[in-house]
Amino acid sequence: MMTSTKLFVRRLLKDPLMLGAVAVLGVLCLLALVAAVVPFAGNPTEIKGMRLSPPSAEYPLGTDSIGRSLLPRLLEGIGVTLVISAVAVLITAVVSTAVGVVAGYAGGWTREIILRVVDVFYAFPAIVLAILVAAVAGPGRPAAIAAIVLVTAPLMVRMIAVQAANVAYRDFVTSARISGVRLPVILVRHVLSGVAGTLAVQVTYALAVGILVEGGLSFLGYGAQLPESSLGLLVQEGVVYMTAAPWMLFAPVAALVASILSITIVGDTLRDRLEPREVRSLT
Amino acid sequence: MSEQSEPIVAVDGLVAEYDARGGVAVALAGVDLRISRGERLGIVGESGSGKTTLALALGGLLPGNCRLSSGVVSSCGTTVRAGDGRTARADELRTLRREKIAFIAQDPAASLDPTTRIGRQFAVAMKAQGRPMTPDEIDEALSAVRIERPGEVRRLYPHQVSGGMAQRIAIAMAVARRPQLLIADEPTAALDVEVRSEVLSLIVRLAAEHDITLIWVSHDIPAVRRWCTRAVVMNDGRVVEQGPVDRVLVEPEHPYARELVNALRAGAGAGEQR
Amino acid sequence: MSGVLRWILTRLLVMGVTLLGASLVIFFALRLLPGGYESVVLGPLASEEQRQAAAERWGLDQPLWVQYWEWARGALTGDFGISLISQVPVLDELQLRMPVTGTLALMALAAAVLVGVPLGILTGLRSTRRSGGAAGRLVAGLGISIPEFVLGPAVLYVVSVRMSGFGVGSLSRLTEDPVGLVRALVLPAGVLAFSCVAVTARTTRDVVMGVLVEPHITAAVARGERPWHIVRHHVLRNSAVPILTLLGTITAYLLGGAVIVETVFNIPGIGSYMITGLGRQDYAVVQASVLLAATLFVVINAALEIAATFVDPRVSSKGRR
Repeated sequence: MMTSTKLFVRRLLKDPLMLGAVAVLGVLCLLALVAAVVPFAGNPTEIKGMRLSPPSAEYPLGTDSIGRSLLPRLLEGIGVTLVISAVAVLITAVVSTAVGVVAGYAGGWTREIILRVVDVFYAFPAIVLAILVAAVAGPGRPAAIAAIVLVTAPLMVRMIAVQAANVAYRDFVTSARISGVRLPVILVRHVLSGVAGTLAVQVTYALAVGILVEGGLSFLGYGAQLPESSLGLLVQEGVVYMTAAPWMLFAPVAALVASILSITIVGDTLRDRLEPREVRSLT
Repeated sequence: MSEQSEPIVAVDGLVAEYDARGGVAVALAGVDLRISRGERLGIVGESGSGKTTLALALGGLLPGNCRLSSGVVSSCGTTVRAGDGRTARADELRTLRREKIAFIAQDPAASLDPTTRIGRQFAVAMKAQGRPMTPDEIDEALSAVRIERPGEVRRLYPHQVSGGMAQRIAIAMAVARRPQLLIADEPTAALDVEVRSEVLSLIVRLAAEHDITLIWVSHDIPAVRRWCTRAVVMNDGRVVEQGPVDRVLVEPEHPYARELVNALRAGAGAGEQR
Repeated sequence: MSGVLRWILTRLLVMGVTLLGASLVIFFALRLLPGGYESVVLGPLASEEQRQAAAERWGLDQPLWVQYWEWARGALTGDFGISLISQVPVLDELQLRMPVTGTLALMALAAAVLVGVPLGILTGLRSTRRSGGAAGRLVAGLGISIPEFVLGPAVLYVVSVRMSGFGVGSLSRLTEDPVGLVRALVLPAGVLAFSCVAVTARTTRDVVMGVLVEPHITAAVARGERPWHIVRHHVLRNSAVPILTLLGTITAYLLGGAVIVETVFNIPGIGSYMITGLGRQDYAVVQASVLLAATLFVVINAALEIAATFVDPRVSSKGRR
């Protein structure tokens, strides 16, 4: 088991684009993590210099509208955004797997009711649903997390329900059921392992959606709140001062786009390997 | 007349390789085969023996990850691969498939376009062949495969007919094109046991009626013995035995062929008892 | 035919149930607001008497279910109540703003269909790997990695540096002049279309590649049909249903993206109405505009699903894919 996983990972990393994406994500995570433990780049909330000063040796990314150094703020922002998205997607994954497996395995009315409820949440545009959640819960981190969960869960429940239903009628599950294996064991050992691939791909895509939603929320003022920073919040500040201090926009935008792009590439590559598909031409 | 004596299919030393994960898998390891016009040839072997690859190679229909790396294939006068490695151009292959060869696939229902009514896809396919057919002619072609109310069937979608009927429609479409060579790759594998021999006898009868050479890929040895004139036994990408069915399938010389025939005969017996 | 009819009726029933659920979510979510609905309506400084008067006036003394019923009944007849801030009927404002958002979304949708679908079909026909070559993957990835709240300001920045600035103009001027409206919305619609085109192309490509490996396409290749003939007669029709489904998903993208784009470009549409309403805690406005967005999504998706059964008869038959 261990060796086959190792082999799988090694094969994945043979792809240069995948390797690049993993490297970018790794560097971003590492920088954010180190900055959170040892503030090597400076204190993100301390007002140190002139307002809106351009990048210099002292302030590698310049300063913001009240004179805070941008680099530590950016590192903090990356960390906050990634943590919000990761925590939310973890919750989504656990909840959706449980609900999706039950829906797919049980079928019938259980499945119908679960999918109808999912449809209701699916009916709202992502950002609208997110804003509603943020408005009800009050802006801030918990609201952003709740919003991302509600936005990403419907699709994931659907995908897992479909996959679980596929697995539920395979021979080995039927024979396990006939030979009297208890239901929880069947669900965990057979059905769960059957949906693992789908889950991995969906979780990766959901991470990217999480960053997008956090960004959109912060941009509209319903996400992370000052003096905290997040990528969305930094982009929003950057937009305000865009003409006077374009560097305030460039760095957070670059970090935001780089992380979403890397995650998307990882998701695509995973999907290619976990859900392989034949390719044909017409000649 | 001289063309009649030429073999319709000539394969010499054919090697085919698939790109597999982490290497190359050899599907055909030097196959020699001659087929004369009017023959009904059965190609038998286990799955993985290379019989399907051989059948596809005759029409240049191999998937993108499969290469013909050495040898010669020519069918119906078109050289699909020459000894010097040259392969037929895409348009030459299309002409070959359009005018001379017809394939009948394993899963009949899936080989019909699910979004188009049967009559319409019949007409569209025939028009693409350059031999447009009127609805009456299509009805006639459907009647020839023993479809009783062709006018009604034409208006149905493929998912609305049974597997056996879908395969008879596919046969009608294949024969209506008047090919020289008909290649059927386990045409009854997806069908219920009761309709299998009906479909087979239909294929054989139509092939005889229209002077079509038949290649039938199968692992149903009794059926091959009943319906074919000659048989080829394949194993591990090679032809291990060939000749008249009554010799090859009853008292084969090659040890593998003997083993296969015995095994399949036993299997078929068990199948009949059920 | 009765099978198809029954299936359509079932779809419509499901649509109704979904809308009912959505309206419940909207209504009760806003009642859950911190501080209670009355204090939101009146502000935190209201006296007890004012509170009671307001409660009576807005029907807040009624049980929640009665309140919901009143609201839902009004919404069905187009009566969304009165804006708590401007005192203007919400319906009037929606009717005024609807053409703006509608035009914006339709322009972006047109781009998604006219650019994204052909792009997806072409790349799907030519690709040799599921996710494509490195360059293709990078470009397609970039397309969906640049959100509206990044691209919008960037475009705005370039425009304000190069030109004198960007202004859409007042609502009354916009609704009187359709040509001017379309012209004013070109840039915002372009921003909105950017990721829609990328998503459409990506998904269409995947759909086409999935169709190409279907046995009936292989059968057509084996009949020696020309590639363009196969595309025209078999690939397009078989790709149509998933592409229709995709366009339904795209409407959600468009409606959500419109919220951001209208805010960035300061466009007087439904999206900016919703955001301003939420900022001012004008809940009649928020309820109405969110319900409108959800309704549009559900109705469009149901319509597309019903359209799908006419393209592919299997959709409504028992052997559903």
